[in-house]
Amino acid sequence: MNPVASQRASGLALEFRDLGYRYSGAETPALEEIDLAVEPGEFIVLAGSSGSGKTSLLRAACGLIPHFHGGEISGSALVGGRSTLEAGPGELADVAGYVAQDPETQIVSTTVAAELDLPLRFRGDHPAERSRAVEEVALALGIPHLLPRTVTTLSGGEMQRVALAVALVTRPPLILLDEPTSQLDPVSGDELIWLLRRLNEEWGVAVVLAEHRLERCLAAADRVVAMDDGRIGFDGEPRGFLDWAIAKRPELATPSALIFAGAGIEPLPVGVREARRTLRDLRVTRTDSDEISSGSAGAVESSSVIPEPSGERSVVLGSSRLWVELDPGNGPVDVLRGIDLEIRAGEKVALMGRNGAGKSTLLRTAAGLIDPVSGKVETPQGIALLTQNPGDFLVRESVGDELEGPVGQAALAAVGLDVPADRDPRDLSGGERQRLALAIALAGRMEGAAVPGLVCLDEPTRGMDRGLKGHLTGLADRLAAQGAAVLISTHDVEFAVTFADRVVLLGDGEVIADAGMPTVLSGGWYFASEAARVFDRPGLVSIGQGIEFLRSSRARSDEELR
Amino acid sequence: MKKLSPIAYVPRRETVQTASLAPVAVYLGAYLLVCFFSSDPLVLVAATAGAALAGFGCGAGRAVKFSLKLGGFLALTMVIVNALVTSRGATVLARLGDWPILGRVDVTAEAIAAGGVIGLRAMGTMVVIGVWSACVDPDRILQAVHGVARRSALTATLISRLVPLAATDYARIGEAAALRGPGATPVGRGAMAHRLLAGSLDRAVDVAATLELRGYGMDHGPTRFRAVPSRWDRRFWLAGSILMATAIVELFLGAGRFETYPEIGYSPGFEVPLVAAAFLLGGLVTWRRGRR
Repeated sequence: MNPVASQRASGLALEFRDLGYRYSGAETPALEEIDLAVEPGEFIVLAGSSGSGKTSLLRAACGLIPHFHGGEISGSALVGGRSTLEAGPGELADVAGYVAQDPETQIVSTTVAAELDLPLRFRGDHPAERSRAVEEVALALGIPHLLPRTVTTLSGGEMQRVALAVALVTRPPLILLDEPTSQLDPVSGDELIWLLRRLNEEWGVAVVLAEHRLERCLAAADRVVAMDDGRIGFDGEPRGFLDWAIAKRPELATPSALIFAGAGIEPLPVGVREARRTLRDLRVTRTDSDEISSGSAGAVESSSVIPEPSGERSVVLGSSRLWVELDPGNGPVDVLRGIDLEIRAGEKVALMGRNGAGKSTLLRTAAGLIDPVSGKVETPQGIALLTQNPGDFLVRESVGDELEGPVGQAALAAVGLDVPADRDPRDLSGGERQRLALAIALAGRMEGAAVPGLVCLDEPTRGMDRGLKGHLTGLADRLAAQGAAVLISTHDVEFAVTFADRVVLLGDGEVIADAGMPTVLSGGWYFASEAARVFDRPGLVSIGQGIEFLRSSRARSDEELR
Repeated sequence: MKKLSPIAYVPRRETVQTASLAPVAVYLGAYLLVCFFSSDPLVLVAATAGAALAGFGCGAGRAVKFSLKLGGFLALTMVIVNALVTSRGATVLARLGDWPILGRVDVTAEAIAAGGVIGLRAMGTMVVIGVWSACVDPDRILQAVHGVARRSALTATLISRLVPLAATDYARIGEAAALRGPGATPVGRGAMAHRLLAGSLDRAVDVAATLELRGYGMDHGPTRFRAVPSRWDRRFWLAGSILMATAIVELFLGAGRFETYPEIGYSPGFEVPLVAAAFLLGGLVTWRRGRR
């Protein structure tokens, strides 16, 4: 029996045997000694830091590697019984659907209906079969209302769903997704994960999902595969993964696992539900904890107001009855509706809200890129804004060409970037590129060593692992220490917990919450940290708070028992 | 929030948008034919107005206004340029003396009239193209040519996708350039073009990868498409046929009716008001009862 026939008989959705791969011209291999088997109907989460090989593994599974990207490949890769060395991505489209990170580059038609029809058309399906397949996949993903829409009018979340629908329309038994929630707000991100779980359960589709925000998807997974420098570092059940992560790669562990491990509680919880169940078993219920915390001063700080800036800090952003209207093409829409906001020097503020709530518009209006229709916004000490894609700022061949002379050096020093002047910006790491872009935005706006009054970053954490987010938090601290207020729009609740001391929550163009970070991020379901969802206690939002709270709670319980 | 181009296709449940491609092509093709080739100012004005009426009737008012503005600007430019560079014509309105490069400049009524006709043609053509662009689904056009020229259809698909992506990139990079600090090296046109080109190549690679993943390159034989019937087809076939015949007759009969050189001469026959009225009233074909 030939290998292909034997794989068909084994019925695996995906099988890698001793797979190795090196991109053309690369010094180090992207994948090494990969042995992986995915059963039909499995839900696998692919974890790993940035650059660990997640995307390469997915590309190898859909045939883009080696057919599209070239390079050197060794070992064997079988998808639905077909060798990816022999069959290209087009031939594998029937057995593996692929959704890449940026949905915008995956849409090639004018309308959603035509986009869904395209793979079926390429496959040569009969028009009647195509119509039915398009209708069914649209219903399954809850997007029938989008079918007549033009793709240019879709929001990021809608586009992500359409990309997923296109990958599913041929009903492949395996679907591969590369960080599909990175551009989505917490609500849309959770919806997408549960949609995948439903497709997995009801249609039997095997799912391989690469994701950084593991707290969002671990509870839905049957198995976790962790990539580590191009190799598989761990392959097993989610609970085993958490044990491995705590021991070897703490930056991959979920917040609730870190809290439980920090407090010495086992087993580590896979998701909020399990964590709460364990706490119930340990008798750390909400009522108990309330009683405990009321007697333990400082165990958990609860703040219902915006933290008072120390001293007489000046206002660096003031908006009053700010209305902004934009016309996306089918009539003007109020994007910001009467925003009153004041931010003072030295504050670190997270600007949150669902996709389309008006976050980017507020930042762009403050930077003078959009004129308000009424009201005003002022930034008396200047503003520097870094837009969503730092690469847009990098247009020259070297760092020295981007930032020349002492002014450039001062800007680089302000963001803590120390790289040779002849380095090509494209060779910098993601974090370094971001710092360089911010330095470009700051250059010449600093009075001496002082940065502008307000530094804004629009969605800077997209596609970042926890290590890079740590660097970004360090950068924000550095800028705040130099006297700037730092305003960051983000969907990432866990990042907001580590970065912000205040959170402004926008909803449909209005400020719907504006208070200290612990208050806002412990007071809801979606815009709440995992620690807040586990403990359901006002003001308890961070991993450190959770550990401290559990320790004191357990110490009190032990005392009572004695 | 993304801003759509004024002439970008927007699906609507209106007459032109829901009708089949062929009758709409005949209908708007008649307007295009007469706007592009006629030299009768009255017919050109009527056809332009009719095309604008047609656009308003099917909800493409924004595209019509944009096309009229752009076409008006083009028309004005053509009038001015023609008046300055053409010294032919017997009726001299102004003698502007010797200009560098242009030499002796005499502005004549005939040159202005000739420029006006060219400008009217440009404006009418812009309006028809604007209405077509805003109302006819590009995917249906690609489907229509797919059976005839598959590779061309694919190339057109790639271009139709890459153009808006390049426009988005251009807007984003331009915005980032405006946000650079005064101490950063300014973004020159060369650096901007270089960055855009590199970005477009990246985009093209991404789109090509997407097409590979969708199964492009698999040879499954000719693709069949399901015809979507529309109750407006008969109306557009009928009106389109009449207007197309009228346009062809006009092009034969109208030649030489309006002369600009050496002197302006206009000898309209009995057919001119009829042709003008046909194209003006033809614009109402896209309107339907009960439309708000």
